[in-house]
Amino acid sequence: MCGLFKTPAYAYITARVRARKRKLIPKETYPKLLNMQLPEIIRFIEESEYKKDVDELSAKFKSIDLLEHALSRSLGASYRKLMDISRGEVNYLITEYMRRWDVWNIKTVLRGKYYGASEEEILNCVVSAGELHYPELELMVKKESIGDVIASLEHTPYYPVLTNYEGGMLNKIEDELDSLSYTRLLDAVGGSPGEKFFLKFIKTEIDIKNLKMLFRLKKAGVEREHVQNILITGGLELKESDLTRLSGLSFPELVHSLDGYSYWRSISDVVSDKMTTLMDVDTKLDAHLMNYASQISHYYPLSILPVLDYVLSKKIEVDNLRVIARGKELKLADEIIRSHLVM
Amino acid sequence: MVEAEAMGLIALGAGLAVGLTGLGAGIGEQSIGAAAIGAMAEDPKFFGKGLLMTVIPESIVIFGLVVALILLFVF
Repeated sequence: MCGLFKTPAYAYITARVRARKRKLIPKETYPKLLNMQLPEIIRFIEESEYKKDVDELSAKFKSIDLLEHALSRSLGASYRKLMDISRGEVNYLITEYMRRWDVWNIKTVLRGKYYGASEEEILNCVVSAGELHYPELELMVKKESIGDVIASLEHTPYYPVLTNYEGGMLNKIEDELDSLSYTRLLDAVGGSPGEKFFLKFIKTEIDIKNLKMLFRLKKAGVEREHVQNILITGGLELKESDLTRLSGLSFPELVHSLDGYSYWRSISDVVSDKMTTLMDVDTKLDAHLMNYASQISHYYPLSILPVLDYVLSKKIEVDNLRVIARGKELKLADEIIRSHLVM
Repeated sequence: MVEAEAMGLIALGAGLAVGLTGLGAGIGEQSIGAAAIGAMAEDPKFFGKGLLMTVIPESIVIFGLVVALILLFVF
């Protein structure tokens, strides 16, 4: 009976996200964008769904910076809209999923304060997509010191973690904030069939985040103890024992020990123990996650899954447009830009 | 007396036929209506299709009404 009343809420939000997903740039358009010059790409984006954001920011920024900020702003606005138009259980799940942007913003503000960046510079890097609204972020940025920023977050769930900060480098609390957002999310997910797949997706996402970190840290030759502190537990295939084992391996050993996991199929053609760049692995892992979200979005049409698919597709669209624009600006070969696109 | 009881039962059946089909249509329409409004909010061009889809469960009420009329006027 309870599900009977939940269904309209899901029907409304899923209809909206499916309509929104149809408006995203189809992957067939990316090769066309690669054939364009930077001014043409900017014009294409100005005439697309990003028009409003580009128009509003055009007085403040120019060229590629305008594009970057318009894309970030559109991403934040899209995610906030999802929180505004949903209610009940679906709103709760979206809000918990979007906490990663709160963590992103808190990390950005703390890093900005740590390195003495100006208020404007910090505000240009925040994406107001989480529970913390833009005015709250503005107030945070106006604080004098890191201690004041932390004190201003007293009413948030991040405060207990932030109080562990004892000065110096921020990496420890940054890792703890990441873990907190995933722990909260894992706890928030219920037991309905759609949510079971949502939980599986989050665990896959944790695995992929851990894999990306393992590749980076092992490539840099970081020791097991440091690696273990950074990795997030709660993954689907990479359990705590796997993480302990993998974090003690060298880079070539890590590469050879991954063939037992399902992710290997997605990355096997770009991974080798002599690889110089990790960008291809990141791209392949992101594509794996996007395809998985797209696949499960059809399993339970009236659930959080179509929303998740849209959220991920929107993020990937913004990232792809950014890669194309930045790549064109730096005059990179089309093949290099194409290899960094998640499709 | 028996005839009056039969008439009462027929009237009750007719009432149930319309009432229950109305309830079923309402349950069906709540999700379809919500989805139609969601689609229209994103693109007003969905108005025609949304309206059509929303009223499709109404057909079951018409069946209920026909059954009720048959009960009341044929038996």
